[in-house]
Amino acid sequence: MDSTLERAAELLARARLPVFGGLFTDIEGATAAISLAEKLGGVIDHGASEGLSRAARVMRETGVAPSSFGEVRNRADTIVVIGEGPLARDPELLDKLFPAEPGLPRPGDNKRELILLGLDKAKTPKGVPVTVIDGKASVPELVALLAASVREGRFDLRDEALRGKIEKAAARLRDSAFAVFVYDPAELEEPVLHTVLEMVRLLVKTTRAATMSLAAPGNGEGVNLCSTWTCGLPVRTSFAGDVPDNNMWAYETERLIASGEADALVWIDALDGEGADRPKGAPAIVLTSKSARATRGDIVIEVGAAGADHDAALYLPPIAGIGMVKAKAANKDKPSVAEVLTRIAGLIDAKRAA
Amino acid sequence: MLVQLKGGRIIDPANDRDEVGDLYVENGRIVAKPDGREPDEVHDVSGKIVMAGAIDVHSHIAGTNVTLGRQLMPELPLLAAEGGQPILPSPAAWGSYATGIRYAEMGYTTVIEPAMIPTHAIEAHAELAAIPIIDVAGLVILGNDDYSLGLLRNGKAKSDELKDYVAWTLSHSKALGLKVINAGGSEAFKFNARKFGLDDVVPDYGVTSRGIVEAMQQAVEDLGVPHPPHVHCNNLGIAGNVETAVATLEATQGRPIHFAHIQFYGYGDEGEKGFSSGAPRLMEAVNKHKNATVDVGQVMFGQTITISGDVLRQFDGRRAANPKKWIISQGEGNGTGVVPYNYKKKSFVNALQWAIGLEIFLLAEDPWRVLFSTDHPNGALFVRYPEIFHLLMDRDERARWLDGLPEASRAASNLAGIARELTLSELAVITRAAPAKLLGLTDRGHLAPGAVADIAVYTEQKNKTKMFSAADLVFKSGNLVVRKGNVVRVTWGRCYHVEPGFDAQIEKRVSAFYDRYFGADPSWFDVSDAIHRPDRFATIPCSKS
Repeated sequence: MDSTLERAAELLARARLPVFGGLFTDIEGATAAISLAEKLGGVIDHGASEGLSRAARVMRETGVAPSSFGEVRNRADTIVVIGEGPLARDPELLDKLFPAEPGLPRPGDNKRELILLGLDKAKTPKGVPVTVIDGKASVPELVALLAASVREGRFDLRDEALRGKIEKAAARLRDSAFAVFVYDPAELEEPVLHTVLEMVRLLVKTTRAATMSLAAPGNGEGVNLCSTWTCGLPVRTSFAGDVPDNNMWAYETERLIASGEADALVWIDALDGEGADRPKGAPAIVLTSKSARATRGDIVIEVGAAGADHDAALYLPPIAGIGMVKAKAANKDKPSVAEVLTRIAGLIDAKRAA
Repeated sequence: MLVQLKGGRIIDPANDRDEVGDLYVENGRIVAKPDGREPDEVHDVSGKIVMAGAIDVHSHIAGTNVTLGRQLMPELPLLAAEGGQPILPSPAAWGSYATGIRYAEMGYTTVIEPAMIPTHAIEAHAELAAIPIIDVAGLVILGNDDYSLGLLRNGKAKSDELKDYVAWTLSHSKALGLKVINAGGSEAFKFNARKFGLDDVVPDYGVTSRGIVEAMQQAVEDLGVPHPPHVHCNNLGIAGNVETAVATLEATQGRPIHFAHIQFYGYGDEGEKGFSSGAPRLMEAVNKHKNATVDVGQVMFGQTITISGDVLRQFDGRRAANPKKWIISQGEGNGTGVVPYNYKKKSFVNALQWAIGLEIFLLAEDPWRVLFSTDHPNGALFVRYPEIFHLLMDRDERARWLDGLPEASRAASNLAGIARELTLSELAVITRAAPAKLLGLTDRGHLAPGAVADIAVYTEQKNKTKMFSAADLVFKSGNLVVRKGNVVRVTWGRCYHVEPGFDAQIEKRVSAFYDRYFGADPSWFDVSDAIHRPDRFATIPCSKS
C-alpha cells in the first residue's frame, strides 16, 4: 500500500494538469478530492456531470423552482413525468409518488393524477388516473406543445387526438392546486428545461407548481453540492488559474484526456451498484471498490464502498438532501477514498517541503 | 505557554472594564496574572484596543439554503467587488473556507448559522465544518413542519410530546437553539396563501402564527434551553409591518424571546409613498419589553442576495429580483426562497431601509438587547460590518452618507436628528458581550479569567471602517491566527449545541411519521456520527434537563 501511494504521489506531484474524474464517492471523499485538486491546480469532474452541469447552467441563468420528493409525494395533485429518464433512473418512482395511504394535508380537492409525457409504457399505480401523451412527437416537441397550451397560446398541430390530449392536460395543470413536472436533466436539453421552467413560472402566478429533478447517479448531487460550498462552483471546475473556473465543456474529463490537456487522471469509483466508464488515454490512479480490471500502467488502490464498507454521507432522494448511510458490514481493512487521498496529499506536501 | 498582551486598552463591558492593562493567556484560556512567573511570549499592544473576539448571532453561512444561493449566483462576489465592496472577485469568496478567513481577519471568532433545516442538518454541519478558525453553532427551524403542526392541531400545544419533539430535533440536528420563521406562513403557502399575519390560521391545521410561537416558547422554556426561540416574524418587508412587530412583542407576555433582523419590520405606511420609518414606534416597544432581544439586520447599498426560509415572502419578493433570476424551493417545513437583490442609494425605499436600521441601533436604550447583524447576506454581506460600525460610531460619517441619499428618504427619516455615537464599549456589547449572553455561551464575549482566549486587537483610528476591517492581532482559543489583518495560521474551531433530554417514545413516533409520509428513516439525518473530527462538538447545558 505504502509504495502504491508513493507512486501515486509521484505521478500527481509532476502532473501539469491532473483531472479528478468519476467521483463516485461520499461527501468526505469528495471533500478530500476537491482539496487535493485545489492543492495541485487540477480539475474536478463527476461521472454523471452531463445532467448536473446542464441543470447547474439553467439554474445560474434563470433560477429554478424545485420541490422536495416529500412535498411531491404528499401534496402534488398533478404529476407530469417527462420522458423516459425518470422511470429508467428509478423504476419504483411512481409507486413512491402515489402511495396507497393518504398523505399529509394538501391543497385543493382534486383527485391526484398522473400525466406521462413522451413515454408510452409504464406500470402505473392502481387507482391513479393516468393520461398518456405520446404519439409521434419527440419529447422536446411535446413539452413545447404543452407549454404553448398552458399559456393558452396558438399552436399548429394536425394530429387532433394529440391536440385534444395536450389541451386537456394543460387545462388540468391550470386547475391544479400543486402541479409538479418530474424529469431527468441528463435526458433533456437546456432549451427543454427552460420551457418546463417557463410553465412553472406561469402557473405560479395563480396556483402552485414546481419541478422535481431525478438525482444523478454516483452521489452526483452530493458531490456537486460539496463542490459548490467549498469553492462556490459546481463540478467541472478547474483550479489551475488564480480563481476557480467552471465550464461544462472545457472541463469534461474525456475531452481533457482526449485533447492531451490533462496528463494524469485520478478516477474514483467507490459506490456499490453504480459505476461509470473510465476514459482511457492518460496515466491513471484508480481508487475503486470493485474488483479492479487494471490497465497496464494504472496505479490501482482498492478502497471501501461508501455506505457499504464504511458509514457515508450521501445524497438521499427521499429527504432531497445529504444523509448518513450506515455500513451494512463495516470493513476496516479497506480504507475510504478520503483516507487514501488525504495520505497522498500528505506525501505530496512532504515532497514539496523536501 | 504563558502569553502576555501588554499595555493595551482593554474594553470588556461584561466586566465593566475599560482601562489600560495586561491580559494573560494560557492553555487556550484567559488567566489571571500569575504570581512570580514571566510570560513566555509578550505582545506589546500599547496604544491598541483589546476586545473579546466578536460573535455574530445571525449570519447565513452554511446549509442547503446558502448553497442554493451559491448555485444560483456564483457571480455574487464578482458583482459585489465591481461595486466597490471589500470582497475578492472570485466565486470562492463566499465559499466555506473564505468565510472563516474573512471573519477572522475582522476579529470575529464565533458565528451562528440561524437556519438549519432539520432533515438537512448533516449538510449544514458538513459546511460549518469546512469553515476554518471560527467556532460555530446552528439554530434549527421548526414551526412550519407537519409534525409540530399536527400536534398543535390535536391540542397538544403544551403537551410533553411537543416538548419531546423539540428536544429530539435540537439533539438530533446538534443545534444550539430553535428558529421559527414566519410561523405557519410557509405551511399556508403550500395551500397557496400569499399573505399570512399573526392571527391568520394555517389551513387544515387550524392553528395561528401566534399559537405556534407561544407553543414553541413554552417548549424551549420547559427544556431550559439557554437561547430563547429565535423568531422571524410574519409580514417581513411590508409597509406598515411595524404593527405586526409590536403585536408580536406584546404577544410574548414577558417571556424570553429573540426577534431576528427587526429592521425589516421597522416600516410604517405613512407619507406620500406609503412607506415610512417605523423605527421610533418599534424601538419604543423594544425598549419597553425587557424580555425581548433583537438583532437589527442592517441594510447596506450594493449587490447582495437574499436567502430565507420565509418562502411566502420570498415568493412575493421574486418580482424585485436583481439580477432577474430566483429560486423558490418547496421542501419539508419552511422551504426556501433565494432572490438576488441590489440595494440602491437612489431608491427611496432602500435608502429609508438603510436609515431605519441605523435609527434602530441608535434609539436602543439598552444595547444589551439590540444586537448587531446584517442578516448576512440578506441586508448586506458580512464584509460590510466595519462600514456599519463606522456609521454607528461617527455622526459625521452618517451625515456624509445622508447627503448622498434622495431628499425624500432623508426627509422621511429621523436619522439626521440623532446625535448619538456608539462608544467602543457599546460596540463591544452589541458585537461580543450581548450575543454571548443571549446564546448561553458564557465562556466568551468577555475577557475575565476562565474565558476562552478569543481576543481581537485593533489600532484605534478615526476611520472605523479601516480600524475594524483588519485586526492587528486575533487569538482564537489562545492561538495567534491573524496578524496585521492577515491570517497567519489556519486552525479549526468547535461547534456548540444543546442536548436536552426527551422521552424515547418520541423516536418511535417520529420514525413512524417519516416512514409513512416520506419513506425515510430519521437516522439518515442524525448528525451524531456525521462529522469525523475529534472534539468538534461541545454541549452547552440546559437548565432543566
